[in-house]
Amino acid sequence: MKGNLLGKKIAFYVLIIVVWQGIDSANIWPDNIFPSPIEVGEDLLFGISDASLLYGIGTSMWRLIIGLAIAIGGGMLLGIFMARVETVNQTIGSLVLGLQSIPSVAWVPLAILWFGLTDSGIIFVTAIGAIFAVTINTYTGVKNIDPSFIEAARNMGAKGGQLVTTILIPAAFPYMITGFKQGWAFAWRGVIGAELLFSFLGLGFLLNVGRQLNDVSQVIAMMLVIMGIGILIDGFVFKKLEDKVMTKWGLR
Amino acid sequence: MGKIEAKNIVKYFQHDGKPLKAIGGVNLTVADGEFVCIVGPSGCGKSTFLRILAGLEKPDDGEILLDGKKLVNTGPDRIMVFQEGALFPWLTVEDNVEYGLKVAGIPEKERHDISKRYLDMMQLSQFANSYTYQLSTGMKQRVAIARALVMDPDVLLMDEPFAALDSQTRDLLLVEMQMIWQKTKKTIIFVTHNVPEAAVLGSRVAVFSHRPSVVKKSLDIDYKRPRVAEDENLGQFEKQILSALRHQGPK
Repeated sequence: MKGNLLGKKIAFYVLIIVVWQGIDSANIWPDNIFPSPIEVGEDLLFGISDASLLYGIGTSMWRLIIGLAIAIGGGMLLGIFMARVETVNQTIGSLVLGLQSIPSVAWVPLAILWFGLTDSGIIFVTAIGAIFAVTINTYTGVKNIDPSFIEAARNMGAKGGQLVTTILIPAAFPYMITGFKQGWAFAWRGVIGAELLFSFLGLGFLLNVGRQLNDVSQVIAMMLVIMGIGILIDGFVFKKLEDKVMTKWGLR
Repeated sequence: MGKIEAKNIVKYFQHDGKPLKAIGGVNLTVADGEFVCIVGPSGCGKSTFLRILAGLEKPDDGEILLDGKKLVNTGPDRIMVFQEGALFPWLTVEDNVEYGLKVAGIPEKERHDISKRYLDMMQLSQFANSYTYQLSTGMKQRVAIARALVMDPDVLLMDEPFAALDSQTRDLLLVEMQMIWQKTKKTIIFVTHNVPEAAVLGSRVAVFSHRPSVVKKSLDIDYKRPRVAEDENLGQFEKQILSALRHQGPK
């Protein structure tokens, strides 16, 4: 079954490339509008050989990791407070829902004014785009904890910080993972969007350079890299983490 | 020591926005090492009373004393065994049992030694590394009891812990519970709606009235142990409990 699935996937992607090459060979559009897969591949190889692509990936990933870490840490903290302190929920809670509706790129002008064209500005956009998804899922998770878990823990002597680390976080973790997954997706969009607009290194910047040079194959190559990293992180980091937690919890 | 006194406990519930007196002044003294079962009609507040003893809820009036000292908060001197066990699904059986010890900051080695002793006692050793979803309901309640016992509490509070078990598992645990009590000499307060269960377990049975509840009758069960549910000689005690339960309409 598993081999069969992999076969299907490979066949599908091979088909796409073949069709793509076919359309290119038909010469419907000029090459500077519609590049062939070979040209895109050459661009990728060139980017790797002169290290500009690797440097771009490294820069974007570094910003992503810092931004996402801030979002996860801050979002968990905020979500737990919202779930446990009614006043925080009634006040900050309503604001969080409002803020979550702002697309991350809409934070870019503010970030440029506050931080200038710096890494901090891009990290700010990344973190703020992701933090509310983590907050809301953490809040839901903590709210849904079986109250007898908390009572049993308090009864056995757990207090304050101990209650948070030994009960609230692990008990809400299946929900939090959903928050991390959503947060990561928002963060990745945020980092690329911000790099495009900041035009300051990273994959989003390389994408923009492609446009400025009228280099369609570079643009498509960068989009493929952005998509590829997305698939890898989704499949290897978050899927694995989710599987592990769900299995351990007996949820699947 | 584990002498617990409840003095004039009163508790109101909110019912359709109006306060409803559920517990109407319960006085109950349980001596150190006594095994008291509480029975009562459903909705009489017997579980709430147990939660008040545990410090998980505050009474609207009255006070709880443990060995003469007034209690305000919950704490590991009175450990509660919940109806559904309340085991933590993200921890293994062993880690569940060691939870309270870990919170108390007891070193790993010592924790292990203590938990091993109680896992053996509850015949759980081979499941030490299992997660709770892998266990049957009966096994889960054994873990919950082991988790309570490792804390070495003065008083063990049990809230209908066998209500969800099939009858064979329940009969087995009824015998084991008596052996645990004899071995550990703990004060146990055990809430149940099951009259034969109360007659088997309790050295005394406190019958709660309909709400607002008071202790309607306190019945000593002076009979040899270990007792089994099908022992016909327990029938006379069961009859007395039942008649105490029956002689009361809703007020």
